[in-house]
Amino acid sequence: MPDRGLPAGCGGCGCVCDDVRVAGASISPACAPGAAWFSQRLEPALPPSRIDGREADPDAALDAAAGILAQADTPLVYGLARTSVEAARSAVGLADRLGALVEPAGAVRDGAGGRAVALRGASTATLGEIRDRAATVVVWREDPLTTHPRLLERLRLDEAQRGARRLVVVDDRETATARSASLHLRVPATGDLDGLLALRAAARGLPARAVGALTAQAARRLVDELRGAQNAALLHGSGLAAQPGGHRRVLALHELVRDLSDTCHLVTLALRRDANAAGAEDVLTWQTGFPSAVDLASGAPRSFPGPTSAATRLRAGEVDAVLSVAGDPVVELGGVPAGVPIVALDAVETATTRAARVVFGTAAVGIGAAGTVHRLDGVPVALHAVAAQARPGDDELLRALAARLGGEAQGC
Amino acid sequence: MLRIAGGRVHDPANGVDGAVADVCIADGRIVADVPGHARRIDARGMVVMAGGVDVHAHIAGPAVNAARRVLGGERRADVAMRDRVRRSGTGGTVPSSFVTGHRYALLGYTTVIDAAIAPLAARHALAELRDTPLIDPGFLILLGDNQVVYELIREAGGGTSQTLRDAVAWWLESTGALGVKLVNPGGAERWKRGNGRLTSLDEPVNELGVTPRQVLDALATAAHELGLPHPVHVHCHGLGVAGNARTTLDTMRTLDGRRAHLAHLQFHAYGGRPGGRPRSRAVDLVDALKAQPELTADVGQVMFGPATTITADAQISAVLRDSGDAAWISADTEVETGCGIVPYTYRPSSYTHALQWGIGLELFLLSPDPWRLVLSTDHPNGGSFLSYPRLIRLLMDREYRNDQLRRANEAAIRRTVLLDDLHREYSLNEIAIITRAGPARQLGLADKGHLGVGADADVTVYHDRADREEMFATPRYVIKGGEVVIDDGDLVAAPRGRLLRAGVAHDPEIERTLRPAFERRYTLGFDRYAVSEPWLLEPARRIPAAGERP
Repeated sequence: MPDRGLPAGCGGCGCVCDDVRVAGASISPACAPGAAWFSQRLEPALPPSRIDGREADPDAALDAAAGILAQADTPLVYGLARTSVEAARSAVGLADRLGALVEPAGAVRDGAGGRAVALRGASTATLGEIRDRAATVVVWREDPLTTHPRLLERLRLDEAQRGARRLVVVDDRETATARSASLHLRVPATGDLDGLLALRAAARGLPARAVGALTAQAARRLVDELRGAQNAALLHGSGLAAQPGGHRRVLALHELVRDLSDTCHLVTLALRRDANAAGAEDVLTWQTGFPSAVDLASGAPRSFPGPTSAATRLRAGEVDAVLSVAGDPVVELGGVPAGVPIVALDAVETATTRAARVVFGTAAVGIGAAGTVHRLDGVPVALHAVAAQARPGDDELLRALAARLGGEAQGC
Repeated sequence: MLRIAGGRVHDPANGVDGAVADVCIADGRIVADVPGHARRIDARGMVVMAGGVDVHAHIAGPAVNAARRVLGGERRADVAMRDRVRRSGTGGTVPSSFVTGHRYALLGYTTVIDAAIAPLAARHALAELRDTPLIDPGFLILLGDNQVVYELIREAGGGTSQTLRDAVAWWLESTGALGVKLVNPGGAERWKRGNGRLTSLDEPVNELGVTPRQVLDALATAAHELGLPHPVHVHCHGLGVAGNARTTLDTMRTLDGRRAHLAHLQFHAYGGRPGGRPRSRAVDLVDALKAQPELTADVGQVMFGPATTITADAQISAVLRDSGDAAWISADTEVETGCGIVPYTYRPSSYTHALQWGIGLELFLLSPDPWRLVLSTDHPNGGSFLSYPRLIRLLMDREYRNDQLRRANEAAIRRTVLLDDLHREYSLNEIAIITRAGPARQLGLADKGHLGVGADADVTVYHDRADREEMFATPRYVIKGGEVVIDDGDLVAAPRGRLLRAGVAHDPEIERTLRPAFERRYTLGFDRYAVSEPWLLEPARRIPAAGERP
């Protein structure tokens, strides 16, 4: 039931602000991605079900979807980052039964996946820790004022609130965040790895060559500043990770943190783009042991990011059906070959829903359906429905689909 | 309905020590008798015990899940196939959720308590536990570093208060937890400021206006006065540090007069000087435990081989990080706690590891009261729960133990009393106490850990084998809630368990105190903090406060 007393929780980005008031097309506090999230989903843009582009009876659509998935040998389950943890559980359960490949969209979209973390680990913290403790916050090639507009305000790092705390931006672009920074270090986009290595060298008192504004002296000053802070934070995201070789740059960032951790408390925060990017990976990890690229075809989870990544498998023609849950694989994975049938669940029209054989127009989490998401720092946030929509959410629909395929969505 | 016929029953809670008897089951409970047409399991020559109860393990929640991410190598080598009843998954020292349930059941364990969940992450932990079949799970929430709790203690002049009692009961109700855990109180605050360890219980926790001793005292008193089914569960200061036994003994004195449980005592039983070589203080701790009958403990045995250290005592993780080159995770949770994770291997050739292993065995073998000092490896910190059968063999089989002692670092073993006159071998009844009856009693679970009429029908049937490791690793039958889940050695069903949570009343007015304190400190709205979603909380059994028990 819609709860009109409690503020809405917003799925517009990884911040999942839970204090939002929605009035028509505008939300307060104002935020562009948040406004887009609500305005595109408050009034359903899709019919409840569609087969081959035509509105269809939901039962017939479930039968058609179940038929596609039952006939597939190597289906792909993709998305999950803009839906609930509950739906992700059901989707991974279905994938286990189908022997499917599972790829959460979060890391595909923001690059902030776990490959570097899997190798060496990471030091992380929830938003409140950074807000209340970090004296210096370095934002590495990100522009949160645009992508996560309320993040700096929530971390009390906007100019009005930050006082003596320092916001350092490493970027060669003149972004909104860079303009607001206490210090803007212009480092060329090709210089991230060298820049991070220069900082590691400075941390060890070794000589390093200049990378843009990050001269040996500037590197030393930044390292000294971090060391001098009791607590400091590094914010990173697609700027560092999204291009090829991204995990090596993210690895260098985590190694820098580890190097400095002997004398100060340094944490990182990955700026996840999608509201449930972290939650989808959490579910996949607890159910299978791996956060991404999980191939269940052999009857047990295998994950070798690269060889078992969805994009690789699609390119190799090794996927023969796609179940997309609040994702857009046609755009995000570089296309789905013609002839590979797609079953898509989404609250909005996308390139994928347009290409899909069967489409279910579902109620979005936090709008027409209740559910939990894990925001960018991993904190679970329960979202309630703020609008009455006469259609199921993703979880309910996936359970119905699993029932068509025989048995419950969740085995044990 | 089911009759387990003719087995030798070890049910120490009811004074049954190996008597040949039938165990009858109907509607998920132990009953006095069942009609002749009930299914009959022929248990002649076999050993019948209640299902195992793990008082302290780490199996769910964000910390455990983060550990899975850095353990890809070991899990790629240990995959578990899906089958008719089982979801697939992966193993290693921190198995995926389904596999955790399967493997506990395959050892005859049917109740497991996760000992460290940040309340802010309760939703995550509960969702994982929903995906952990075959066991009845419960968990303890971390309150010993909570800044709001500190405010309440400070306002009460450094002690407990009705407000604090209501707050503790509110927290249990709002998270679905069974009890309260304190980890090294004050340590997380120090860690997050990058300013080192606490060295004394009377050192102020930064500027928060409380000392670790006040936190211990206030929360132990609050839990005691609330009559929680399981008293405050304490991870003492200085885990793993030489000389920490002094603080452990000080903590025990501080807790005097209140019920409390000391977690993984082995890790807190070291003599010597900080930074120097540890020594064993097991004898002193056993004596101190003997003198304080209201205290219970679990051992936290170290087992040689791979482990994963997962702890809210993040400072010790930094020490382990710097001792090698393994992956390291640190995760700070606002207001509540820190967390550190480092994969680790215990080697018999290492002085420290062999000493830790030896101290655990000393604690077991010197302990006069198995009800109060029970089995754990602090899974996966001292080793996986999969090593319990080997640990049982070390306790039951002196020859095997002596053989293993000879393989361990000699200098370390000479620092223990294991080479003296410790001929003790645990009996099957004592094993039944330290693996089910004792933990169930410590946890306040009246329906678990025994086979009396009315108890939950969680039963394990073992072949009586001379090799105790093999015996306890391969139960012939396991019955969970009256359903046969291991039949003739095979997993045949994987039902979901029931959440075990405290049922303790609080004054709802406490929210008027907590709301502003939460809004000042947390980045999540107060109204979204408490868990109420039925899919996370049901089915459950509420374990009432001591005073409210029939």
